Amino acid sequence: MIGEAALVGLVGLVGLGGCGRPDVVEPSAPAPLPAHHAFTLDATPKQHRRMVPPEAFLRAYLQWFGGLAPLEVQRRAKVDGLFDTWKDYLAALGLPDYQVDTPRMTESNTIMLATLGRLAEALCVRAVEHDLVAHPPIDQRAIFAFDEPDGDLTLAAFTPRFDVLHRTFLSYPAALAPADRAARFYALFREVASHHAGGGALTPARTAWAAICTALVQHPETELY
Amino acid sequence: MKRRAALQLLGAGAAALATRPWSPLWAGAGTSSDDFFIFIHAAGGWDVTLWADPRNETKGLVVPASKTNTDVGQLGHWTDAANGSFEILAPGDSALRFGPGIGNLFDHRNRLTIFNGIAMNSVSHEDAVVYSLTGRHRTGGSVPAASIDVVVANELGRNQLMPDVAIKFGSHYVGDNLGAHAIPLRVTSVEEITRSFARSDVVLDGADRSRITALLTDEARQLAGGSTHPEPYQQLAVQHAALPRLLGGDLGTAFDARQLQAAYPQFNYKSVVQGNLAVSAAFAVEAIKRNFVRCVSFNLGGLDTHGANYRQHAHTLQELFGTVAIMLQLLDATPHPTRRATRLSERTHIVVLSDFCRTPQINMLGGRDHYPNNSALVISPRFRGGRSFGRTDDEQLLPVEAGRFTDGRRAITPADVLATFLGAFAIDPRRYMRDGEIIRDVLV
Repeated sequence: MIGEAALVGLVGLVGLGGCGRPDVVEPSAPAPLPAHHAFTLDATPKQHRRMVPPEAFLRAYLQWFGGLAPLEVQRRAKVDGLFDTWKDYLAALGLPDYQVDTPRMTESNTIMLATLGRLAEALCVRAVEHDLVAHPPIDQRAIFAFDEPDGDLTLAAFTPRFDVLHRTFLSYPAALAPADRAARFYALFREVASHHAGGGALTPARTAWAAICTALVQHPETELY
Repeated sequence: MKRRAALQLLGAGAAALATRPWSPLWAGAGTSSDDFFIFIHAAGGWDVTLWADPRNETKGLVVPASKTNTDVGQLGHWTDAANGSFEILAPGDSALRFGPGIGNLFDHRNRLTIFNGIAMNSVSHEDAVVYSLTGRHRTGGSVPAASIDVVVANELGRNQLMPDVAIKFGSHYVGDNLGAHAIPLRVTSVEEITRSFARSDVVLDGADRSRITALLTDEARQLAGGSTHPEPYQQLAVQHAALPRLLGGDLGTAFDARQLQAAYPQFNYKSVVQGNLAVSAAFAVEAIKRNFVRCVSFNLGGLDTHGANYRQHAHTLQELFGTVAIMLQLLDATPHPTRRATRLSERTHIVVLSDFCRTPQINMLGGRDHYPNNSALVISPRFRGGRSFGRTDDEQLLPVEAGRFTDGRRAITPADVLATFLGAFAIDPRRYMRDGEIIRDVLV
């Protein structure tokens, strides 16, 4: 039990406190919050197979073709009607379009492949022009970090060059791929070069290299990273 | 089991069968692979009192459309009623009753099957659209079932070049029993399709692309053969294999928006709300005519009218149903691409769905908000035309019991509508849907 005198004293103290000068928080310069240990929690659902986010494809494309900014890709690929603008392809690339309230795609589809193929073709043609036509030093090339041999390209000469592209797009040596892969791509090279033997915007061999690049960018193993 | 109990059980079963107007078994009308399907999402939530479930009296919560809340100048079927609202259209040749928003589709009234009083249990666009198109509510943020277009494409679109094209439509590919061919080609506009398939021939040409896709198809098949989980490779093989036909044809020009507008001047491309979207309807007709697609799904919107824009709601409905009416006329006039002496309309099935309906009362802003009731429209030779099923109560515009289902008497749900549609094509709804029963009353 609190005595009467103590109670009166307590009331008095509270009263004095109420009459006192109010607390003032002095302004001070904002200090950065102390650092915390940060870690990423992967909360994405795992019970079903799911598609690699389209952003991963696009980022890979941007890195492969010279670490370009998205708008730079758009600018380079737009020439000759090879590509339009990113916005024209949001849904076709599987990206959400919040302007029209469409969610992101959960599965690849033919339009997505066609759109990525359109972009791949555009960037490969540009890469041929940059690397093989303009012919900068090897270490300044984006994709075709090899020299073209004189004369016809044999399978023996094709294989190490194909390996350069294979390592770039599929991230492992062509020698570790199924045994006939280099030969199959060589056949594609020969067919495309022969088809364009009559001439075109690029030499037959360079056109064929553009085809090899386009095929590797869209290769099932590339798309299933 | 004792004899008496067995007889009681048998008797109860027989009584249930005798009194139940629909069967829990699926209908089995004969699967066909040369039918075409058009699914339309009337986006935003429509006012059913202006078309399928017309109300022109103030009763309970219901405040009907009137000249004070609706611009009636351009409404072809608006006739003034004595109380300031509209006269309900009650044609003598049909049991259906319509509001003025039905527009020119009124001329096709005997081909329409209408579901009224669909219990939505949702007033959220995101959830209700999923519920309308899949028969399931969202679970958390995810969609638990495939949408109706994907199911139909999976069952009937296997051999089609583009089994399911979804233009600004909420298609969902969900489930373990779906093939890769049923993955919707989802885009936000017709132009996106033409752009994606368009190619410059400055360096590589169509023959080169065919060689590339042939090689990639073989590579995908080879990788599938050696893979523990071959499905993704098989899926890519199917998709690469389809590319030459899509890249090599005249898709880029045939489906160009300007070409479509020139080919189908009947659609009103300059209309206030549906103008840009009418190109999707033209695409549907052209793609079906060319036998490229099995399902085309698209969105005709502009119905989310919470405020003063409600004044145009009836007009927007009139435009929407006018677009559907023109599609019907075109399908009537176009021969089927593979069947002799058959019009396209005889093998084309149209479903028009919305998120939900709008409140029976007018809000403070002069518009109507979201309301958990709905209607749906089916135009199909497999359905009995000039019929409606389900109803709402007079005072609150809420769904009431439509009949006895296996789980008792209740109102119909979106799952029942979708199950009935699948049942009309002998597709067992249970393969894809957890809920929903086939309503045989509306099937031919």
